[in-house]
Amino acid sequence: MPGKVIKVKRQEQLGFSERLYLPAIVKGLMITGRHFFRNLRGFVTGKNRTDFVVQYPEERVDYPDAFRGMPVLVELENGEPRCVACGLCEFACPTDCISIIPGEIEGARIERYPEVFDIDMSRCMFCGLCEEACPEEAIVMSREVEIGSYDRPSMVFKKEQLLVPEPLLKRRLDFLRAEYERQDEPRKPRTESQS
Amino acid sequence: MPIEEICKTLFIILVIVAGLAPIITWIERKQSALMQDRIGANRADIGGITVLGLLHPMADVLKLMTKEDVVPQGANRMMHMLAPLIAALPAIIAFGVIPWGGIYSFGDTTIKMVAADPDWGLLYIFAIGSIATYGAIMAGWASNNNWSLLGGLRASAQMISYEVTLGLSVVGIFMVFETLKLTDMVMAQDTTLRVFGFIEVFGGTVPAFLDWVRLPAWGIFYQPLGFVMFLTAMMAENKRPPFDAPEGESELIAGYFLEYSGMRFGLFYMSEFIEVIVIAGVVSTIFLGGWAIPFLDQATIIGGIGSFMGEGFATGLCVILHFMTFMLKLIVMIWLQMLLRWTLPRFRYDQVMNLCWKGLLPLSIANILITGAVMLLVRG
Repeated sequence: MPGKVIKVKRQEQLGFSERLYLPAIVKGLMITGRHFFRNLRGFVTGKNRTDFVVQYPEERVDYPDAFRGMPVLVELENGEPRCVACGLCEFACPTDCISIIPGEIEGARIERYPEVFDIDMSRCMFCGLCEEACPEEAIVMSREVEIGSYDRPSMVFKKEQLLVPEPLLKRRLDFLRAEYERQDEPRKPRTESQS
Repeated sequence: MPIEEICKTLFIILVIVAGLAPIITWIERKQSALMQDRIGANRADIGGITVLGLLHPMADVLKLMTKEDVVPQGANRMMHMLAPLIAALPAIIAFGVIPWGGIYSFGDTTIKMVAADPDWGLLYIFAIGSIATYGAIMAGWASNNNWSLLGGLRASAQMISYEVTLGLSVVGIFMVFETLKLTDMVMAQDTTLRVFGFIEVFGGTVPAFLDWVRLPAWGIFYQPLGFVMFLTAMMAENKRPPFDAPEGESELIAGYFLEYSGMRFGLFYMSEFIEVIVIAGVVSTIFLGGWAIPFLDQATIIGGIGSFMGEGFATGLCVILHFMTFMLKLIVMIWLQMLLRWTLPRFRYDQVMNLCWKGLLPLSIANILITGAVMLLVRG
């Protein structure tokens, strides 16, 4: 059933005062002039400034938790990555930018660890599939985006550059857990059957 | 006295061209920023000192000076080189006849605060202003580029059209002040206008309490319609938005100065800004009383202060006050032009022409007729 159609009555021809230009111009000047003087007062006194400009390198906005920046490795308290070098992220990555060489520690509780964990940031497209594939919450998307560089070799981030202590990533990890929980909830049965 | 003339000319070049014109680019940036809730240019610095972004004009000039000056293949080199000069120079020399102060006498010597004071002052401004058209046409033609040529054609059509209106819209002012000499025009505005004086024309007498209701005898109060039309025509002559059809960023890339780079482009750029000052100067001289302080004429100031501080000191003070008044009016008019430029959307090319030939031209002729009829009634 189509929705209710509302016909908006629009003025199709210009009125007399609009065709005269001047009243409309004065109206426009009043608006811009009001902004000018309000901001000028704010500029002089430093109060009630209406500009919303962020002076970027000095001031930054706080990105939301859902923001996907550069992928990083979660660092445990002992300084080692949580990663067990299972290779799922390497497999999930659509751009093949992750390369892992697994290593082994004899007799430890978790025997596998990544000996080499490189991410080629010049190929990474910040899709977040590695984060989704990871069974250990070991690789997550951070809020870091300023990773520009002048040459290609320095765009390959080594394991040591990627490690970030777990407390710093708490917001993202909490967000992820809440998100997974929400997805695991049983769907409410639909009233209408889907074709 | 040649030394006096040289001093005045130097003053104009130093204050108007070297002083005000670069600051105008700063004013434009900052004012548009404030109008649009932004901050504006504030990054250029010398050792961390930014002075509210006032160093940006310096950075601009430095950049333009060091850029390569490209002359396109197939261009007429001579014309291509000459065009920016012809566009920029008239804007500067037009300021020669605009008075920034009155005529003062210190004992035997009389000082005129204007570089040149010919009887045909206003006509000189129109004549010089129309030379700037050649700059735009030459630039458009000499660049060997279709867009430039179209821009040049548009510029010539627009500027020639608006010159007709420009001339006709101030005829009313000639009739009111009965002179073309700009200094005399300002002198005539240095009095007050009796608002209810028209009652005497019909044979009545003005009651004493109503005789106090007065306005400054400025051109804008004699010719409000003329003021609007003159300002519109002047802004159209300047080719800045909303009348930027010759530049036409969206359809002609940059119009007639498309093929210019470096300081030659800078000259076109600067000429527009200098013209903004000239427009502000001419409009405030003709319509806003120039250096005249409202309700306080020159004789009153010199007589009032001279009675206890000495004639010479009073005259000196008067010179400073008048100059400050003129600068204030200049800045207000520049502000108004910037406000208009950053408020109004640009006209389409046919709308520019319609506004001129179907709107302003008949109105300006009607204005002359009405002014003439009223003058006949009032002055007999």
